[in-house]
Amino acid sequence: MTNQKSKIFQGLSRAHEIYSNREQRVRELKATGKKIIGYPCAYVPLEMLTALDLVPYRIYGSIKEPITEADRALPTSFCPFIRSCLDRALKGKDDFLDGLVTAHSCDPQHRTAHIWESCVKYSYTHFIDMPGTVRADSLEYFRGQLGDFKKTLEAFTGKKMSVDKLKTAVKSHNRQRALVRELYELTKPIPPLVSGTEILQVIKAVMSLPVTEGNELLTQVISEVKNRQNGPAEKPARLLIWSSTLDDTDIMQIFESGANVVMDDSCGGFRPFRAKVKLTDGPIDGLADYYLKEITCARTFRQATLGETTKNYARDLQSRFGYFKGIVKDWKINGAILLLVRYCDPFAFEMPALKDYLNSIGVPSTYIEYDYTIGALAPLRTRVEAFLETIS
Amino acid sequence: MYFAGVDIGSTMTKVVLMDVDGTILSTIKGPTGPEHRQLANEVMRMALEQAKVPLKEVAYIVATGYGRLNVPFADRQITELTCHATGVYSLFPNARIAIDIGGQDAKCMKINNGKLVDFVMNDKCAAGTGRFLEVIAATLGIKLEDLGALSLKSTKRVSISNVCTIFAQQEIAARLSEGEKAEDIIAGMHDALASRVVTLARRFKIEPDVVLTGGVAKNSGMVNAMRENLGCEILVPPDPLITGAMGAAILARENYNKAISQGEPVATKSRRLDKATFFSQ
Repeated sequence: MTNQKSKIFQGLSRAHEIYSNREQRVRELKATGKKIIGYPCAYVPLEMLTALDLVPYRIYGSIKEPITEADRALPTSFCPFIRSCLDRALKGKDDFLDGLVTAHSCDPQHRTAHIWESCVKYSYTHFIDMPGTVRADSLEYFRGQLGDFKKTLEAFTGKKMSVDKLKTAVKSHNRQRALVRELYELTKPIPPLVSGTEILQVIKAVMSLPVTEGNELLTQVISEVKNRQNGPAEKPARLLIWSSTLDDTDIMQIFESGANVVMDDSCGGFRPFRAKVKLTDGPIDGLADYYLKEITCARTFRQATLGETTKNYARDLQSRFGYFKGIVKDWKINGAILLLVRYCDPFAFEMPALKDYLNSIGVPSTYIEYDYTIGALAPLRTRVEAFLETIS
Repeated sequence: MYFAGVDIGSTMTKVVLMDVDGTILSTIKGPTGPEHRQLANEVMRMALEQAKVPLKEVAYIVATGYGRLNVPFADRQITELTCHATGVYSLFPNARIAIDIGGQDAKCMKINNGKLVDFVMNDKCAAGTGRFLEVIAATLGIKLEDLGALSLKSTKRVSISNVCTIFAQQEIAARLSEGEKAEDIIAGMHDALASRVVTLARRFKIEPDVVLTGGVAKNSGMVNAMRENLGCEILVPPDPLITGAMGAAILARENYNKAISQGEPVATKSRRLDKATFFSQ
């Protein structure tokens, strides 16, 4: 039955189907005895779940669902994304999850994690502590944390996480990252062969599947897009979207009504896939290195040089945001939208420096704040349209 | 040949009809009300009647404002940010900063070489918009148009600590019962609103000329409060309500000329002043 379905729905149409109904595949897998582990953040090392044959499932909030339950557990002036995630959990959505893994990526996630674990019953929970910086001692600490994660996973599954299993998992997830990079290559042409809306659906779909099924879907999508005749129409603006979470196509479509979104740095998009895990002998040290250093989230404090007594702002900007230079050139980006979620301090504090950096490389940008609800969309539309009018 | 700009704001709908030289032939202003979709065609009709211009001689129409998507007879929608900047620049060729305080939002626009280059908006909090003054005027039992003159009689400013419009209303009622005068309270309110808008404007380097538009600019007390808070001269157009519609009409002419010069067809579909309907079947 499943095979027949995947013949009818392939590539982009399958991605759209999964995007609209994310639980279907994991519920099928659960019925065959697989354990599904939810995680709300890109910092959780999925390879360690895959290595023990657990199915990682990315948890998202929903901008369309009014928050009704989370207010009894969390303050209102608080990250609306995590509030929405907890709200859905309290309502029993995603009740197919056997476990929950959270990370100390930011304060809201840290504080909510413990409330979440006590309010909702899972067979397995784990909180990964994470340092805020990327220095050598931070990496050592984080390696230790991943060692603890390995232990609790082994206790939960009753299986040993052998080096071979973990290396195989690293290769599969690296393969996924390579496929996603290949997909984003297809937005380089003018006009791009695939839209930001379609990519968002594909990524969200991939994050709802075991890694090998996600890789299969990506392969289908890439082949379909390369051969398609009916790609997006050319628009005058080619945009980069920078954000924490951008996980609903309604938001993306506001950007794409007047522009081509050709690149993003967001957790629902390219951020978890840009770099690759170095396959070390450990291989946990390679994983620690990748997850702490290579995920370009504003929660991580990066400084140009430790111990400098005077700071060089330009060099600091270059070390924090220099990866955008090549991207802007290769994808011919002529505008950037910095999309902030209300109350998100890490991204709000990062934004002015990023704006300075983008100005220095000649990319006009505007910042837009949304409160992760559907009511926010009309003012968003005006700001986006006005910004596009200034750069056209 | 004529061009029209239709600006559907949250409180007021404005139409400006212009000829090829930029001369304004008619201006219509009316309250938007809850059914602005039904209104756009009516105000357009009135503008045409006033100027004695037949619809078929209007070559291009631009709609702007938050209701801009509900003008089915418009050729193009352009945001009010670009339209205000264009309108202000046409009246004040040295304008660098335009500040528009409307019914439910406040916008600051940076203008360079006559074009909008950057902007910042407040549409999250009524305390920084015209709505704030409406609520306060109602609380004091005073007409909105009388606020300015009354505030100039003030001898001391009563400051209200609450930043929220609704809670400020409560505080004012308390102050009144303690014997504070209405004009002193109004002066305090003007100062509070001005300081909030100026905080927004200071995201940009303030350079002359600074122009203030929007219904609130008709309030002389507010203009003074803005001058004081900004620390520089502020220019106000003779009709501060229509800069958006003016800018839209100017952009209508620009878009028409551009289309003609590029050999693109201009929508001279037989235009009908249809009411907007919600659902396109």
